[in-house]
Amino acid sequence: MSSPLRDEELEATLRDLGARLAYPMPTRLADAVRARLGAPRPMRAGWRALVPALVTAAFLLLVVAAGVPGARATAGELLGLRGIDIFRVPAVPTSGPGVETAIPGERVTLAAARAGVSFTVRVPASPILGTPDLVYLDVSAGAERVTLVYRDRRGIPRSSVAGVSAIVVEFRGTVDEQLFAKAAGPGTRIERVNVNGGRGYWMEGEPHLFFYRDANGAIRDETLRLAGNTLLWEQDGVTLRLEANVTKDEALAIASSLR
Amino acid sequence: MAGVPGAKTDSAEGRLTEDRELVERARHGDQEAYGALVTRYQGVAARTAYVITGSDADAEEAAQDAFVKAYYALDRFRPDAPFRPWLLRIVANEAINRRKAAGRRPTVALSLAEDRPSPDTALSPEGAALAGERRELVLGALQRMRDEDRLVIAYRYFFDLSEAEMATALGVARGTVKSRLSRALARLRAVLEAEPARE
Repeated sequence: MSSPLRDEELEATLRDLGARLAYPMPTRLADAVRARLGAPRPMRAGWRALVPALVTAAFLLLVVAAGVPGARATAGELLGLRGIDIFRVPAVPTSGPGVETAIPGERVTLAAARAGVSFTVRVPASPILGTPDLVYLDVSAGAERVTLVYRDRRGIPRSSVAGVSAIVVEFRGTVDEQLFAKAAGPGTRIERVNVNGGRGYWMEGEPHLFFYRDANGAIRDETLRLAGNTLLWEQDGVTLRLEANVTKDEALAIASSLR
Repeated sequence: MAGVPGAKTDSAEGRLTEDRELVERARHGDQEAYGALVTRYQGVAARTAYVITGSDADAEEAAQDAFVKAYYALDRFRPDAPFRPWLLRIVANEAINRRKAAGRRPTVALSLAEDRPSPDTALSPEGAALAGERRELVLGALQRMRDEDRLVIAYRYFFDLSEAEMATALGVARGTVKSRLSRALARLRAVLEAEPARE
């Protein structure tokens, strides 16, 4: 085009374009969404009324049953691969997509992470894990979260999804404001376990996604990064989770080694 | 909007009232009501996500994820606020994060539908050719813009959002919408002028 478009021409062209894009035209999204919502929301009786129950239960897990077969399979495949997240992820230069690009926050030293949050950051003393290789601190948008990344650990298979052996995630959330809802495939098994005297959940099987309430009561979601076994528990007002392809007993041993 | 359960009116006001009722029911665990909201807004949600991702599959999945998240976030939705822009903000975040997680490519591939009824029929053959050429040029430039710029342009010119809706959907103060849009347009022009039509 020889001369620049006038404003009206540009605007008319944009409107024209907008009417002509080959948009997807979903027609049955409602079914797929409902299938993923699974059980009715626990807020049925009024969210506030349920707070005491949640305090007791610590976390409420909503296991989403297998829904529409096609949609379920797609979602299941994606959960493991995409590492989607509602947090802002800085464009950290890395050698390809991996856990590091998917972890919210910035890479910091352990000391900086400890200084950056209002809770006590605990680190496993388990010799299997040793010292974390990378530490991430996320304090964006009201979050307070520390992620410890363990790359290669003898005896722990590296996750095919993220290429690391284990991660430990610790974040602040008032328990009575938290709601966990884990969108799991039919292959996921969940078991209630006792971790360091408190209630926890051991999840085995397929990749997971869960929702929780942060310290401000805002709903957040988390994609479990390693698509493997996960131990999720609450301790001193902090929610912790260990993701690693270890057995339940090994996970519990790691959890009990937190210092 | 055909076939939307509970949709009795097309007026903007009527829609807001219906949305409010549906949101209120969904908030109390009525998944049918939420399904009606999904049906009502699946189109604009998928279109918004498509403008970001340039992929049908990604757009539908981003929209689906956004609806699931929005459901669990209904408690912090202000009941007197309009649902659509609030939803779109979640959709756009979802789509942008999906692009980032995939290792954001510098361009997205948006396609034109070949079989859309053409508003060019009233134009002379030369006029239609010129319009077609402009479309290609502007589309080419849009595809190279930042997601956020493409989004603000789409909200305004593709989906006709009001300024208030844009403010909510973009998560900015209402007074900021105009400047966001004019900066996006300025960058669009810069891309257009930097890379004139090959040929």
